[in-house]
Amino acid sequence: MSKVKVIACSGIGKVYGLMTREAVLEVTNHLAPEVSETVCLAHIVTGDAAARAKVEGCDCITVDGCPALCSAKSVESAGGIIKARFRSIDEMRTHRGGDAGTATALSEDGWKIVDEFAEKIAAKVMESVSQ
Amino acid sequence: MTETQVGVLSCSGEEFLGGTLVRLATRKVMEELRPGKVVTLCLPLYIAGGEEEREFAKNYPVIAVDGCDKCCAKVATLKYSGEVHDTIVLTELLDRNVILSKIVSARELRPEHYAMADIVASEICKKVDEILAEQ
Ligand code: SF4
Ligand code: SF4
Repeated sequence: MSKVKVIACSGIGKVYGLMTREAVLEVTNHLAPEVSETVCLAHIVTGDAAARAKVEGCDCITVDGCPALCSAKSVESAGGIIKARFRSIDEMRTHRGGDAGTATALSEDGWKIVDEFAEKIAAKVMESVSQ
Repeated sequence: MTETQVGVLSCSGEEFLGGTLVRLATRKVMEELRPGKVVTLCLPLYIAGGEEEREFAKNYPVIAVDGCDKCCAKVATLKYSGEVHDTIVLTELLDRNVILSKIVSARELRPEHYAMADIVASEICKKVDEILAEQ
């Protein structure tokens, strides 16, 4: 069975984009490497059929920074089956007053928030695999 | 008169070290090396976005900065706005095997990776300065 694709938007303008990237990498590298992997979002939407085939018909979990939902929209249009959509901006709402850092570097608090966020995403990966 | 700014679009790829380095370098140029002279945009927003985002490359001369020779930022800019002023492709600039390695998270970056990001940042600055001198 192919691995669940976990795909971050990696937005460059605000800390939310960096949070998506680091949370996804924590899931695919450490929390669930046997059953999940990531792919370059930019490649599946700009690449050829072989690039789109990386997500087409595959179970995907998208992780976006903000309500623009760039990863979810792009993965959907590339034919990925979206099992869950996450937004890092929602994580900040549950950590009101917290300072996650900047789009360049996460703060100590930012890393803690990202780790909690990654646990939630990994739980969805496991749920998706067990279905 | 509005001062000319240069658009820098980085691929921010998630599969290879190159994606992390172009992202870091772009942020460094914006924040430290050429503040106020460079603007950027989330590449996925540019790709998935509406008219306003698509105008980006029409409003600013764009440098596409890509982590590998799949050149996603360049391809996206050409596809949606028709023009790329200049490009940087990391696999042409630095050791290909290192750039295509799986070290992507900021947690794993070591001093040598930051040194590579600095090389990319100075390459971006060189191209920004050239464009500004032409204007
Ligand atoms: S979802 Fe938001 S943060 Fe992420 S790429 Fe799109 S606009 Fe940028
Ligand atoms: S240029 Fe290479 S590293 Fe960057 S998004 Fe495309 S495939 Fe990924």
